[in-house]
Amino acid sequence: MGSALKKWKLPMIMLGPFVALIFLFFFLPVVLIVILAFTNMDSAMRWEFAGLANFQKMLEDPNLFKIMKNTALYVGFTLLINVCFGFVLGILTTYYIQKEPVSLVFRTIWMLPRMSPPVVYVLLWLWFFDPSEYGVLNSLRALFHMEPVAWLHEHPMTAIILANGIIGASFGMIIFSSAIKSIPKDLFYAASVDGASQWSIIKDIIIPAVRWPLMFVTIWQFLSLITSYEYIFLLTNGGPLFESEVLALYSFHKAFQNFEFGYGSAISLVLVIIALIFSFMMWKWFGMQKMMRSSKIE
Amino acid sequence: MEQWVRPEAAVTASLTRRPVSKWKKRLPFFIAYGVLGITTMPIILMYIWLLLSSFAKQMKYGFIPVSFTLENWKFLWTNVEHGGTTLPSIWTATWNSFLFSITLTMLEVLIGVMAGYALSRIEFPGRQMLMKTTLILHAFPSVALLIAVYYILNFLGLFDTLFGVLLVKTALQIPMTAWIVKGFFDNVPWDVEWAGLIDGCSRLKVWLTIVLPMIKPGIAAVSIFSFLSGWSEFLLLYMFIVSDDNITLASYLQKLISDPNLVDYGLLSAVSLFYMLPVILFFIFTQKSLMEVSAGGGKGV
Amino acid sequence: MKIELKNLCKSFNKKTNAIDRMNLTVEDGEFVALLGPSGCGKSTTMLMIAGIYKPDSGEIRFDGQLVNDWEPKDRNIGMVFQSYALYPHMTVLENIAFPLKQQKVPKKERMERAKQAAEMVRLGHVLDRKPDELSGGQQQRVALARAIVKKPKVLLLDEPMSNLDARLKIEMREELSRLHKELGITTILVTHDQEEAMMLADRIAVMKDGKIIQYGTPMDLYHRPSDFFVAQFIGTPPMNVFRGKLIGNHLHFLNQSAELNNEQWNTAQGELDVYVGIRPHEVKLGKGGDIRAKGIVQMIEPVGHAQIIRVNIGDEQLRLFAEPTAAIEYESEITVSFHLSSLHLFDVRTGKSLRKEIMKESQTEEMVG
Repeated sequence: MGSALKKWKLPMIMLGPFVALIFLFFFLPVVLIVILAFTNMDSAMRWEFAGLANFQKMLEDPNLFKIMKNTALYVGFTLLINVCFGFVLGILTTYYIQKEPVSLVFRTIWMLPRMSPPVVYVLLWLWFFDPSEYGVLNSLRALFHMEPVAWLHEHPMTAIILANGIIGASFGMIIFSSAIKSIPKDLFYAASVDGASQWSIIKDIIIPAVRWPLMFVTIWQFLSLITSYEYIFLLTNGGPLFESEVLALYSFHKAFQNFEFGYGSAISLVLVIIALIFSFMMWKWFGMQKMMRSSKIE
Repeated sequence: MEQWVRPEAAVTASLTRRPVSKWKKRLPFFIAYGVLGITTMPIILMYIWLLLSSFAKQMKYGFIPVSFTLENWKFLWTNVEHGGTTLPSIWTATWNSFLFSITLTMLEVLIGVMAGYALSRIEFPGRQMLMKTTLILHAFPSVALLIAVYYILNFLGLFDTLFGVLLVKTALQIPMTAWIVKGFFDNVPWDVEWAGLIDGCSRLKVWLTIVLPMIKPGIAAVSIFSFLSGWSEFLLLYMFIVSDDNITLASYLQKLISDPNLVDYGLLSAVSLFYMLPVILFFIFTQKSLMEVSAGGGKGV
Repeated sequence: MKIELKNLCKSFNKKTNAIDRMNLTVEDGEFVALLGPSGCGKSTTMLMIAGIYKPDSGEIRFDGQLVNDWEPKDRNIGMVFQSYALYPHMTVLENIAFPLKQQKVPKKERMERAKQAAEMVRLGHVLDRKPDELSGGQQQRVALARAIVKKPKVLLLDEPMSNLDARLKIEMREELSRLHKELGITTILVTHDQEEAMMLADRIAVMKDGKIIQYGTPMDLYHRPSDFFVAQFIGTPPMNVFRGKLIGNHLHFLNQSAELNNEQWNTAQGELDVYVGIRPHEVKLGKGGDIRAKGIVQMIEPVGHAQIIRVNIGDEQLRLFAEPTAAIEYESEITVSFHLSSLHLFDVRTGKSLRKEIMKESQTEEMVG
């Protein structure tokens, strides 16, 4: 008995705070969200069960179709920029520019938006799309004597896709460039001796080597795009009206602006379920066993 | 086998092939530099604008400064008027941001190192289970849970306190941090620990004098990473902090930006630069290790 | 194909030359080994011949044609890398067929030729496997098949056997030797293993610090090393070396002196520090030779067909082969002897051999170069 306690003592002390935090801010919220989704809690914070009312409301919500469409567009196109452009950046800064200092400079610059605080980063975009003649795009138009355009009103989706795309591209870039860098140099030498063309080197050597990172980046970015709304909130706040509102932001608005905590939770629950399905796919594809094997206990 | 002997004919053809001109050979590299240059330029320009604009009275075409001034930096010694009310001092916000980030760093490193070591080195029932959970939580859409987190903070009486947000932020990041730190410990060979034990140290002493120094660079990188992440945090602070006493730089700047009556890019960029200062400093000095960590963050999966 | 390197230079840091004014001629069909310790520039040389590195100055000629600016794919070479560099996601057959695919050989012919090449290296039974399902030796064969499948005029082997265990090494050496005889391709082997070079190559170029120290047949290098470095590098167990002094034509070493023949040896004006070398197998037990010495037995290593005896003579050490039946006791005193004519003498300062015939040779070589 005593020895069992002793065996438990060390891991319990070491893992205590870790487990407590996870319990308090992951497990408990999940349970709460599930319960809240079936209540119509509002700012009075009273528990009133409402059955499936929230989900029925969701089906009847006149804005929801628009929001779903926005979410699909936003996630799809941002993902496209993230993955494709990230891959292009990865190849360019590792394979085509092999002078490490030069590519490090480029990669560093691309990391800047990612490292900048979101508020600052969004300020740059606000300036870029500024409706007055002081904005970047509008001052370019002014050079050709064209009227300023209220970009964020006219093209809110484009704006949020661009802003998120560039942030995500640097994530892809980092993952891909470290994958490409880990390809043995001999392989490239062998290919050039074997007479491979540039295209063939990309197709037969680089892409097979980054296949898994490619899948990983895609799913990972999908997961974070579908649930995060920080940049959209700061840039357009979903507006004008619901033009750039996405599902995650809608849940936030419902809960914290309209104080419909129950309805907000129901929307969150849908998001969590979508995300869990994809996490599960990731788990299956990437083989959890493979990851776990990396640390053996003797 | 005969056809293998001295295949002259097949070869002379290729030997007479002229080498391609230098231009054509270098074309892919020119294109590479071109594409990178054109796409990278806007990013550089935007950050240069941030700098110029903060010292300029007026900008021609929105970009070229007309005259220089320190007017925009006045927020450092006077409180900014905004929408009829006066914002709290920038130094209050800076102090809060600093407090938030540094405490976050300490909490994360402490809890992360303890948990990382336990996950990497100690066998206990439920270890596999806990490891799988940690991995899953990496990708978990924690932002979707904020409504429930709001309820919990309210319940605990931690709403509108920096400490409450601190706990949330630590919790959201700790699965990733613990996993990365576990990776560092995994890379320390058992032999080293055994050697220490054989040389007469206790397990704790081995840990403190041998293992910990070996993962110090990794810990340093994790610390910087979590400090910057705390410094940049906006959403949680915006959601769970309301009083001006607890304002942080992110919210301070956001308040300025969201005021429709005040589009003063001079002031905005000056505040932004001030806010970004630690990011810029850390960026310059530690970019290499940062790259490794952010790449390592994804490596596990 | 005949390969000529003329005054080849290559540097990576602008200060020191990785390859320094190197000259080398490989005749058509010849098997040449570039031998040297790691970092001597042998791999750099090979990558320049392959066209992956471009020389800073100097000429590379294939059959007299200047190929400095040619891309690797236009040089018609096959290459085997130390790491084998197999394409991990392709099967063995696809790996072997890859060079042909790049030449746009039609699929049917491509597969046929790839299979043929696989048969040549006895890989017919694993064509559908991926490289990571193969043993080290098999991977090596795949790399070899891929290198020869396009019927190259030059075969480059970069330390191909350094990742194999001792048994497989011997097997692969025989294999390579057989392939070279069958195909008759001009072959260049980079290695740091002198035994491998001696067994395989028609000629060996011994390299040090980006320069070729001596270029000759294995027997030449063994019996008539022109440089102290070559003498030390080649032969197992290595050559015995003593410090000595040459005064006129009198050689002083091992506490004795001997008179050298003026016709065979370059003699010194005044006093010259020399290394005196003698191969272990030239040393005999007993008093049979011109030079005799007494020593204490320090170590006895039986190697089956003989035993290697290590003897301390004063401060110097000496190894020799003895009959396996000879009864020698540890720490006993024995007498050893050898012939003056089997000595090797090198100037300590320059490392050059003092043998007249060798000096003459290397001088003429330099003039030709």
